[in-house]
Parts: sequence; structure tokens; C-alpha cells
Amino acid sequence: MKFGTRWPPVPAGILIGISMLLAWLVAGRGIGASGGMTRFVAWVQHSLFPAATEQSAYFGRYFADGAHPLYDYVVFLLVGLLIGAFIAAWRAGELRLEVLRGPRASVVYRLSLALAGGILAGFAARLARGCTSGHALVGGAELSIGAWVFMMCIFVGGWMAAWFVRKQWI
Amino acid sequence: MDMIFPLAKTGAISATANLWLAIPIGIVFGYALFHSGFTDGRRIAWAFYFKDVSVPVVMFSAIATGMLGLWGLSLAGILDISLVYMLPTFLLPMAVGGILFGLGMVIGGYCPGTAAAAVATGKIDGMVFIVGFLIGSLLFGDFFPVWGDFYNSNYLGVVRLDQWLGIGLGTAVFGIVVIAVGGTLGMRYVQNRFWPSTESTPDRESILKLQGGLIAVAVLTAVVFAFFPTEAFIDDSVETPFYIVPRVDAAP
Repeated sequence: MKFGTRWPPVPAGILIGISMLLAWLVAGRGIGASGGMTRFVAWVQHSLFPAATEQSAYFGRYFADGAHPLYDYVVFLLVGLLIGAFIAAWRAGELRLEVLRGPRASVVYRLSLALAGGILAGFAARLARGCTSGHALVGGAELSIGAWVFMMCIFVGGWMAAWFVRKQWI
Repeated sequence: MDMIFPLAKTGAISATANLWLAIPIGIVFGYALFHSGFTDGRRIAWAFYFKDVSVPVVMFSAIATGMLGLWGLSLAGILDISLVYMLPTFLLPMAVGGILFGLGMVIGGYCPGTAAAAVATGKIDGMVFIVGFLIGSLLFGDFFPVWGDFYNSNYLGVVRLDQWLGIGLGTAVFGIVVIAVGGTLGMRYVQNRFWPSTESTPDRESILKLQGGLIAVAVLTAVVFAFFPTEAFIDDSVETPFYIVPRVDAAP
């Protein structure tokens, strides 16, 4: 049996679960993706407005005691994630610049919605203290109440908006 | 006997080594995200139309694997669960965050991890999503005083489903596996009903058998959990550490 590029969902999910287990065993914490991005954006803003970023109620703690915001676990994980996805796509011969969209969506429409959705998700991930990986998956496996509520609300929110953006996808 | 896992918390490896080991762990994660098909935003968004239910099925499989492994290894005395960071619950901010996040996912087609993986494979829509994601994170942080009180409201501490429901940990683990398996089968049924597959994959039969076998293993493991006296092994009086997102007190 050959899986090919796109694995069946159960073994693919199990491999994600294994990466979660490795992080617990080695670091004593879960995986995550949005935390690294928050630190990255804090670092970018710090290079432009150092004083304001260090005094920021939210970003300030990344710079406490002269710490470097990118010298952190979540950032290293994110770098690994990028390398892993790159290797997988390269081995499968699927590295190419393209805009993926539904048959009825124009490139401009797709990219505008990608930007809008990104802004919403970025804000939401900070409000919820994590995203799908670090919050829903890791917290879900830890049996955290907040993670299960977060996960169910993701699907509620997704279904609420699905009708309005259907032209983008189907 | 002292447990040596988690390695970084028991002092078995240094903080620096732990940091560098995050890279191979991230590689496994990114590799799996690509092969799940989630570097293609359509496959993620289609979950909300039941056109491709891989997103919930992958999520259920990852949670079941992680959960059985995490609690299994700690009950077996290999992993010291009291040293594992647990996500605290802030109920209302997490619910509102979840709804906004779901809106962002169906509008933008990605979540942060999948978008990062998409960027690494050259997807321009993924890059634009990430730019938006960074803007959204920046807005949250820079205007934190506006929503800081809400962000810190409704704090319940580290609370697990089994504690909240007043059932045993093993029973909760069993229940989640039942929900995951039921959810997977139910979602597949809805998908096949509304979006019957037109492509034929050569190995369909053997892939079904493999997935069925993996699911059977999960159910059997969960049955062991259901009858295991977990209460005797988990000491809930130990305060779990609290360090990823410290509770930021209301802005000045």
C-alpha cells in the first residue's frame, strides 16, 4: 500500500499526535504555531519602535530582563515546522508558487479574503491564548475545558460564515 | 524511582538542548501537516461544507493519539504529568476567540500552523494569510488595554473535563475516543451523502482496512483506560506549572 502525497486522515493525524507526544516528553509542553508568529511580529515592531514595544502591556514581557523574543521554544518549533513542510513538499515535487482557490473565485477575491481571514484569526488566536495546534489539539488531549470549548466554537464560527464565502471554495 | 520525562523539566537535558530539539519536533509536525493535505486551503475550508471532512478527522486522530499517549505514559510512571504545562481555562474569552477564529478559518482558508506550512511549499494565499495573521496579532497586542480585562476574565484555572464532570480520568479518555470515532464515522457519512466521491483511488480497500485497524487499537486502548483506577495515579493536589502565557494583569 502506498500513501502517496496525500495520506489518509487517520495516519496523518496520528503523526501529528506523535509530534505532540514528543514535545510533552522532551519539553514538558505542547506544540504550537501562533505563539512563534506573535513573537516574530513583536520582534519586527521592536526593531522599529523599541521603547514603545518594551513598554507594551502585552508584548513587553517578551523583552523582560533583556530577553530576545525569538530565543524561545515556540519560535524554534515554528522554524522546524517550516523545514518539515518544505522537505515534504520538495520530496513530493509539489513546491510551486500558486494561489489555491475554488473554481469560481478570482485571484484578487481569494487573496483579499485570505488577508481578512488572517487578520481575524490572528486577533482571535491571541484572545483565545492559542490556535488550532497549541490550543485545540494540545489542550484537547490534555482534556482542558477551555480547549474543548474553543474547538467547538471554531466550528460554530466556521459554519456561521461558510454560506457567505462559498463562492471562494466550491 | 524518579521519572526522567519530560526531559527538560527533570534536568535530564539543558534548556539550550531543549530549544534545539524543538526543531526536529517541528519538522515532524510540518511534515505531517503537508501529508494531511492541509497546505491546500481549500481542503481546510471544505470541512465547513462537508465536502472534505479530513480536518475534523485529522484533529480527532491527533487528539486521540496525544491523549492516549500523554495519560498512558504518565499512568505508566514514565512521564511526570505534574511537570507538564497545562492550558488554563478562561472560558468566555476562549469561546469568543474560537468563534472569531472559525470565521477567520473559513474566510481565509487556513489556521496558523497550516498557513505556515503552506508558505513553506510556495502557496501565495498562505503568505497573504500569514501577513494578515501577523497584523491581527499586532492589533491585539498594541491595543491590549482595550480588551485586556476581557482577556483575563472568566478564569477557571487548569480544569479538566473529568474534574468538571465529576467522572474518572479514564472514563473521560474513553468518552473522548468514543466521540472521536463516532465523529469520524458520522462526518464521513455526511460527506459521502452530500458530496459522493467521483475519484477512485487504487488502494481504497487496504487504506480503509488500515484506518479501521488503527481506530480499533484506539478503542481497545480506551477500554483499558475506562477500567483503570486512574484516580490512584493522578495527584490533583499538585499545582501544575503555569508559564507559557502568564496571566497579564490589567493594563496600566
